[in-house]
Parts: sequence; structure tokens; C-alpha cells
Amino acid sequence: MKSSTIVKLSIIAVVLAAISFWSGQQAYSWFPPQASLEAKLIDGLFSFLVSLGTFIFLGVLGTLSYSVLFQRAAKYDYSDGPAIEGNNTLEIIWTVIPFILVVWIAFYSYQVYSQMSIQGSKDHSNLEAIEVYSRQWAWEFRYPKNNVVSSELHLPVNQRAFLKLQSEDVIHGFYVPAFRVKQDIIPGKIIDFEFTPILEGKYRLRNSQYSGTYFAAMQSNVIVESPEEYQRWLASSAKAKRTPSYNQAYQEFNNKKSKLRGWRSIKPAEPPLVNNLSPGE
Amino acid sequence: MSSNVLHEQENPGNSKFGFIVFLLSESIIFLSFFVGYIVYKTSSQEWLPLGVTELDTKGPFINTLVLISSSFVIYIAERYLHAKNLWGFRIFWLLTMLMGIFFLYGQAVEWQGLPFSFTDGVFGGAFYLLTGFHGLHVLTGVLLQSIMLQRSFVAGNYDKGEFGVWATSIFWHFVDVIWVILYLLIYMWK
Amino acid sequence: MTNITNVAIEPVNWRRYFSFSTDHKVIGIQYIVTSFFFFLVGGLLAMVVRGELITPESDLVDRTVYNAMFTMHGTIMLFLWTFPVLAGLANYLVPLMIGARDMAFPRLNAVAFWLVPILGTIMMLSFLVPGGPAQAGWWSYPPVSLQNPTGNLITGQVLWVLAVAISGVSSIMGAVNFVTTIFRMRAPGMTFFRMPVFVWTVLAAQIIQLFGLPALTAGAVMLLFDLTVGTSFFDSAKGGDPVLFQHFFWFYSHPAVYVIILPVFGIFSEIFPVYARKPLFGYKFVAISSIIITILSAFVWVHHMFASGTPPWMRMVFMASTMLISVPTGVKVFAWVATIWGGKLRLNTPMLFALGALVMFLFAGITGIMLAAVPFDIHVNNTYFIVGHFHYVVYGAAVLGIYAALYHWFPKITGHMYYEGLGKLHFILTFIGTNLTFFPMHPLGLEGMPRRVASYDPEFTFWNVLASIGAFLLGVSTVPFILNMIGSWSQGEKAPKNPWRAIGLEWLISSPPMVENFEELPIVIGEPYGYGGDHALVANLEHLEVAHE
Ligand code: HEA
Ligand code: HEA
Ligand code: CUA
Ligand SMILES: [Cu+2]
Repeated sequence: MKSSTIVKLSIIAVVLAAISFWSGQQAYSWFPPQASLEAKLIDGLFSFLVSLGTFIFLGVLGTLSYSVLFQRAAKYDYSDGPAIEGNNTLEIIWTVIPFILVVWIAFYSYQVYSQMSIQGSKDHSNLEAIEVYSRQWAWEFRYPKNNVVSSELHLPVNQRAFLKLQSEDVIHGFYVPAFRVKQDIIPGKIIDFEFTPILEGKYRLRNSQYSGTYFAAMQSNVIVESPEEYQRWLASSAKAKRTPSYNQAYQEFNNKKSKLRGWRSIKPAEPPLVNNLSPGE
Repeated sequence: MSSNVLHEQENPGNSKFGFIVFLLSESIIFLSFFVGYIVYKTSSQEWLPLGVTELDTKGPFINTLVLISSSFVIYIAERYLHAKNLWGFRIFWLLTMLMGIFFLYGQAVEWQGLPFSFTDGVFGGAFYLLTGFHGLHVLTGVLLQSIMLQRSFVAGNYDKGEFGVWATSIFWHFVDVIWVILYLLIYMWK
Repeated sequence: MTNITNVAIEPVNWRRYFSFSTDHKVIGIQYIVTSFFFFLVGGLLAMVVRGELITPESDLVDRTVYNAMFTMHGTIMLFLWTFPVLAGLANYLVPLMIGARDMAFPRLNAVAFWLVPILGTIMMLSFLVPGGPAQAGWWSYPPVSLQNPTGNLITGQVLWVLAVAISGVSSIMGAVNFVTTIFRMRAPGMTFFRMPVFVWTVLAAQIIQLFGLPALTAGAVMLLFDLTVGTSFFDSAKGGDPVLFQHFFWFYSHPAVYVIILPVFGIFSEIFPVYARKPLFGYKFVAISSIIITILSAFVWVHHMFASGTPPWMRMVFMASTMLISVPTGVKVFAWVATIWGGKLRLNTPMLFALGALVMFLFAGITGIMLAAVPFDIHVNNTYFIVGHFHYVVYGAAVLGIYAALYHWFPKITGHMYYEGLGKLHFILTFIGTNLTFFPMHPLGLEGMPRRVASYDPEFTFWNVLASIGAFLLGVSTVPFILNMIGSWSQGEKAPKNPWRAIGLEWLISSPPMVENFEELPIVIGEPYGYGGDHALVANLEHLEVAHE
């Protein structure tokens, strides 16, 4: 290769790398707030993937664009291009480099995943389990120690949250985008699930596994609060009377107007009886 | 023009190749059912339906012997055809068919006597699914055999060698091997 | 030659396209036209989906209708559009490309095709049964798919399973036929390493059908029994195992995406050399990597279940195996780039579509690798990020690649040239529409918008409006295509044998080819991509079509 080509290629590579690094940094802003330890890990991994992906994408796109712009046949030029059939060195290079790259990605992802240990592999004997019940189409959270039932999930900040997920009918999915964690809830099983919220606030809990007619409406709130507030909420809720919570699926189903169109649906479960005073939306 | 003819011809070598490819594919269905059975068996809390302690293995064992032997009988039939001995072929071919029918009969008797149905848990479902799906293949085999037998009476039909006989026989061996695995899984694996 | 008397005479005019023809070329066209009709139907359902999603509330249609829309959209697009259209292209091209007069089993071929309109009809009829069509998503995961609010025996879900099963039978027939044809019907001299890459990719894809589809069939049979006679294979309420169904489903349906994309890789490999006037770079590597993809594709299915009831070790193993797929795929991508590089490019419509498809495939491949990383997938699984990822492949790469093929072989198939101007207009609208529709789905997914929702939180409105506008543009973009096809077929300029100066057996015979393709079988002596050289492809060029010259 001529030295001028090498210089040119190096400059291009450096510019590409800079752009890729920059977009990797941008990637953090494409997410909801980082409200859990797991979110930090996952966003870091994603930023890395975006950098790498941008590099590959722009590298290939750039090469193609150059060809399309500058290597077009002239109007009456019916000759063929050079008869290059292949090049074994190049083939080896572009087999080995991607191989190394994916081994790297896989290894990094493996480390992140074991650090998250969301599937309950950490010692959780001293954690109080919150029971999460899902049914078509309502969420119900039980705090057995305090005998509280809630339609919203309250969690103390900076403490490992330990959930026992269960479903009474079909598969549902526990998903809080701000925490970046998700787990399908398989009926007939109790699934241990853990993560650590680190930012106070109110977030959306969404059903992530399609569960039938009112799937989209099966959402709730997660409230992450200071341990004191959390205890206060538990105590006041424990005293409150249990009333049926608001439930959108149930409402819509029993609203005659919306039953005029469409096909017949499974009947939604009765809204759970809950202690919490602020009804979920 | 003779062009249409070209699109109608099928070459026996191709047919053999294609048939083997098809059987390979077919075996994946059975493999999937077997895998399902193994998963159920190793993961279910309740396996055998209530009140059932053990499957009777005597009847199925006789059935198994008959089916395995029929694989040899059909081979002899094929040898006779090869030697251009049509009556030898017909007799052993018919014998294979009878053995197949005996197997189906034995299966029907077993089903009749079972204390559980296909709605009794995953075992009930899997049992009837596997034996039923296999039985369907045996039935298909017997039907194919009867067609081939009837064709053997068409004069000169087998002069150039017969793909149908070859395929039926391969199919029969296939159904046999499947049964052996099935028997080991359902009746022998405790 | 042989006697004609006992042969059913096929009609020779347009009516043969409605007959039980055994000519692979007629069958190919039958497949393509039928499946394109279903593409429009599937697209129409997508328009309803995007119409609903242009506002956050569930206001355009009832929720049950919405759920039926995306379920039927996904099902129709895969089972009635992509599989059959690719079967059609392969049907038309493979015998020509390997120098055969027809497929190995012409009658089986016709039966396989005629099952497609049958299953299409069943699928359409499910709109008429009480309770409506299936509403459990194209995965039909139990227990949702087992719920039956009407109590009837024949429900949309039952018809769905039936139709998918028929599609399976048709595909297996096709696969047996293609594999046998490619192994046994090649012309003299057409060794494996002289086969065009398109033939390699069809072989690779059809092997997947043979060994993957039966697993889906097994799962579908068990589901059907659960639905109709009360077995409990997948019904958790009765001790069944719903996750087992997921394994059956994805064991096939992951490889199925390579059934779609491999022939598209073949199309790329045919088109780039022609319009860049250069040999395919590293032909053998490209050919072999198709087979490697086939093998690897059988060991990655759990990447669709990273957030399902799977243990950590399983997630990690399948993360690693999934990522490996990028290696043979990368070999191909780099080979195409190297083919184009330094060529003499001619940006005709097929080339534009192929280039657009390649870029979008690359984008989708990169998001695919991101999805394979378990921790990230945990966040975006079942969000619009997934919907974005796969539409970039199934629409961006596959549909655009299919368009490229339809334009490229249009002169061969119909004997007429298409209108280049309309073709370019079609490309521009499609390219803009695709990115406008499917790019916004990525930020939506990252922000946490689940898929399969009829209503969503207002924070997601902006990107959804963009996506819907893009989708309507895509709907419009099919108009110039349809006009072009109908107009050119009936009035287009007559096409010569080889309008693109392409190398390949199909370009040595007249456009359209005569019924038996080759009067005398070609004797192949050259490599498939000899651009820039002056080596002959066949030894008996002047004898291929004696009777017709
Ligand atoms: C034709 C269709 C097609 C194709 C080709 C692919 C290709 C790939 N897909 Fe995709 N996928 C789908 C269709 C397709 N997919 C569909 C339909 C779904 C969703 C189904 C549903 O849920 O309804 C899905 C979902 C899906 C998931 C599940 C996500 C989830 O549900 O949570 C995952 C996860 O791993 C995934 C990964 C991949 C990967 C790794 C590839 C790879 O094959 C991509 C390989 C290509 C490249 C990587 C680019 C080229 C390579 C290079 C330039 C080399 C250098 C690159 C690197 C070193 C990275 N896909
Ligand atoms: C090959 C496969 C394929 C193709 C080509 C497409 C094409 C399109 N898809 Fe598809 N899609 C899937 C496969 C495909 N999709 C699958 C598998 C799913 C998952 C389903 C599930 O979750 O179960 C899905 C889900 C899916 C969703 C998610 C729904 C949800 O999760 O709630 C959305 C949302 O925007 C969408 C949009 C579109 C759009 C806008 C197009 C456009 O490209 C379509 C463009 C439209 C046309 C080209 C036709 C225009 C025609 C007319 C306007 C009228 C003419 C009509 C007649 C004459 C009858 N698709
Ligand atoms: Cu309108 Cu959703
Ligand atoms: Cu996949």
C-alpha cells in the first residue's frame, strides 16, 4: 500500500472513531431516567454497543457511498470493471476481526449480567419479599409483613428490592423502563426477581408480555421513596380500609359503548381490593 | 410440441432421493414429540394420572416383537421381487401387512383397556399423542402396502424395478425404528 | 420426442396462470402474484395498526380488533407473503440457473403452490367467524391463545393453526422439491462451485425448512389438541408447560428468519456483480457462509426468550451462539462491499433497491447484535425496539431485496422492459418511507414503549406520529410499483435475451424462456461471475434454443 493511502485511511479511521465515541455518549440520553443500579450497567453496555455499531455502520456506509458517488460508469462506457475474484488475506481479516469483536461483546455482556443478578442469585435471606400478583388485567402488590395490599408498587430507595412474581392466568411481563429490568411471569410458577432502585420518583410499570384484549391498559406506578416515607406509607396503608382499586380494563369492559364494536373478549378479573389511598391510573 | 411431456416426467432416482429427504424431515416431528415427552417427564410434579401406577407392558411387548419382525419379512418380500419371484413377493408382502394390522389391532385393544384418557394430565395427552401419531404412520404404511400389492397384479408393472415398493419398505423400517424409541421412552423408562 | 397424447394439454394464454400447471415458470409467477396480493392485504392491516397508533388513546378500532390486526398482519406477511414470494422466485429461477428443464417433481410443485390460496382463504375466512380472527399475536403463545371467549369450536385461533399447518405442508413439499432439484438436476458441468449464489442460498434456506418446520408442526398439533379436544400440553392451569411451546415455536421461527433473508442474500449476490461489472468477491466464501448460517441458525432460538422463564445459563449460552451468526454474515456483507468497490456502477432500479436493502440490512444486523446482548435485551425485549429491528430486516432488507429481484428479472419473466422512471420513483418513496416508519421505533423502544399495545402513554406520541406518516407513505409507494408492473407487462418495450449484459444461464435463452427452457441441456464450462473476463459460460451456446431461432 502507498504511504499516502495509509495516512488517508488512518485519518478516516480516527474521524470515524471520534464520531462513534460521540454517538456512544449520546446514547445515554435516549433512555428514561437511570433509576436503578441495573440501569447504569445496561446503559454503559448499550453505549459501548452504539459506539461499535456506529463504527461498523458508518465504515460500510461510507465505503458504499464513495462507490455510488465516484465509481459510476460513464454514459457510454460499456466495459467491465477489474476482474478481481477475491483475496484470501482480506477474507481472513474480516472473519477474524468480527469474531474477536463478538467474543468481546459477549464477555462484557456476561459480566454485566452477572453483576445485575436479577434472577435472585444474590443472598436475599434478609430481604422482605414483596408479592406481585398479575392477572388479566391488573397488578396487585402485597406486603405480607404489614398486611398491605396495593395497586401501586412502593419501594424504598437504595435497598435491594426482592419480588416474588406470580400470575393467575396467562403469561404477563413485569417491566419498569426506568429500571431497565423485565421478567415474564409464567403461571404456575413463583419467580424470584431482584434489583436496586437508586433514584426517588414515580415511574411506570408496564406489562411487557402480551396478555390479551386489555394488555395495553395493564400498567401501574412504581413509587421509589426514602425509607422513612416508605415506612410511613406502609403504616398508614395498613390502617386504611380495603376498597376496590380503579381498573381500566374492568371499566372499559363494563362500558357498554365500547362493547358495540369489536369481538368478544375474556372478562377481566375483578379489580383487587387494596389499602392504598391513591388509586393507580 | 412435446414440451408438456417434459414437465410431467419424474425420474425414479430423484424420487428416491426426495423420499429420503422427506423422511429425514418427518423424523424431526417425532423427535420434537420425544423431546416434549422427555421435558414433561423430567419436569412435571404429577406424572402418571391419578390411580394409575404402572403401564401394562406385556401386550405392547408382543406388539413390538411383531412390528420388528415385520421389518425382516418386508425385506424378504423385496428380495423375492428382486429375484423376479412375484408370488414370493406377494406372500411375504401380505404377511407384512397382516403383521401391521395385528399391531394396529393390539394398539386398539390396549387403548380400550386403559384407565386414563388424553385429557388426564400431560402424561395422558403425551401417551395418546405419541402412540396415536405413530399408529397413524403404521396405518399409512399398511395402506401403501395394499396399493403396492394390488399394483403387483398389473402385468409388466415391476419390470423396471418399482419405486413404490422401495419407498413403502423404507417407510416401514422408519416406522419401526420410531416405535422402538417410543417403546423405550414410554414403557421402559421408569 | 415422446408421445403427447396422454398429456393434459395446458392452455397457453393467460388462462394457464389459473390452471394446475406443472411448468415451474408458471408456478413461479402464480406464487409471486398470489403472495403479492396478500402483501397488500397484510399492508392494509398495517395501515389500520398505524392509524390506531397515530393517537395515544385506543380510539380508531376496538382493542380486540387492534389485536387481531397485528396478529393477522404478522402472520399474513410471513406465511402468505415472504415465504411464498421467495418460493416463487426460487421456482422461477433455480431450474433456469442450474440448467434444468423443470423442478424434480413438477406435480408436487403445483400441489405445493395450490395449498397457498387454500390457506390464504382459510386465513381470510377467520375474519368472518364469531369471535373474529386469532388475537394472540403471531407467536400464539399459550395460555392466551387457548382462551376462547366465544366457546365455539371453530374459532379464529383454530383456523389460524390450521392455516399455519397447511403452510407447513406446502413448505415441506417445496423444500423436498428444491433440495432434490439442486442436488440432482444440475446441467452437465454445473458443479456445486459453479452454482450461482442464489442457488446456494435457496438450498441453505430450504434445508432450514426441512429440519426446522417439523418442530413448529409438532407444537401446532399439540396446540390444536389443547384448543379443540381438551388436552393440557401447554395449559398451565391443568399442569401443562407454556414455555415448552415457546421452545417449539422459536426452534423453527428463529431459523425461519434466515429462510427469508438467505435468498435475499442470494439476490444481492446476483445483482451487485451485474451492475458493478465485477465478479462476486470471494465467491466460495459467500457460498459456504450460507451453509454455515444454516447450521448456526439451529442453535440460537432462545434469544427470543431472554426475558421468559429461562435460567441464566441458558441466556448466556444462547447469547454467545447468536453473536456468532454475525461472523458468516459479515463475510457476505464485506464481500458485497468489495464487489461494488472499484466497479463501474450503473444505478438502475434493481441496483438502487439492492443497495438500499443492503444498508438497511446492515442497520438491522447491528441492532440484532445489540439484542443478542442479554442485559440490553432485557430492557428492550417486547418493546418497539424489536419491532424496529425486525422491520428493518423483513421490510428494509427482504421486501426491498424482493423488489430488486422483481425488477431485475422482470424482462426475463415477462419479456418486456419496465419503466425505469417509475421504478426510481418507487425506490425513492420506499426508501424514505421505510426509514420514516421504522427508525422512530428504536427510540420508542429505548424509552420503554411495549409492542402490541392499542393505546400508549402520551409521552410516546411524537415518534408514533412520524412512524404513522411514514407508513402511509409506504402504502402510497406501492402505487408506482403496481402501475409499472401492469403497464410494462402489457405495453412495455420488448425485452432482449440479456438486457443487463448479465452472466448466467437464464440470460442465454429468450425472454421469456420457452416452455422447456433449454432445447439441449447446457454444458457448463465457466465460473458464474466472470465479469471482466472473456471466458465462455457454456460450450453449446448455439444449441440451447435451436428450434426457436
Ligand atoms: C429476516 C429476518 C431477520 C434477520 C436476518 C435477523 C437477524 C438477526 N437478528 Fe432478528 N428478529 C427478526 C428477524 C430477523 N432477524 C424478527 C422477525 C424478530 C422478532 C420476532 C418477534 O418477536 O415477533 C427478531 C428478533 C430478534 C431478537 C429477539 C429480541 C427479543 O424479542 O427480545 C434477537 C436477539 O438476539 C435478534 C437478533 C438477531 C441477530 C443477532 C441477527 C443477525 O443475523 C444479524 C447479523 C448481521 C450483522 C451483524 C451485520 C453484518 C455483519 C458485519 C458487518 C460484521 C461485523 C459485525 C459485528 C462484529 C457486530 N433478533
Ligand atoms: C415480512 C414481514 C412484514 C412486513 C413486510 C411488514 C410491513 C409493515 N409492518 Fe409489520 N409486522 C410483522 C411483519 C411485517 N411487517 C410481524 C411479524 C409483526 C409482529 C406481529 C405480532 O406482534 O404478532 C409486525 C408488527 C407490526 C407492528 C407492531 C404492532 C404491534 O406490536 O402492536 C407495526 C406497527 O407499526 C407494523 C407496521 C408495519 C408497516 C407500517 C408495514 C409496511 O411496510 C406495510 C406497507 C403497506 C403496504 C405496502 C400495502 C399498502 C396497501 C394498501 C394501502 C391498500 C391496498 C389493499 C388492497 C388492494 C387489498 N408491523
Ligand atoms: Cu388512536 Cu391509539
Ligand atoms: Cu431470532
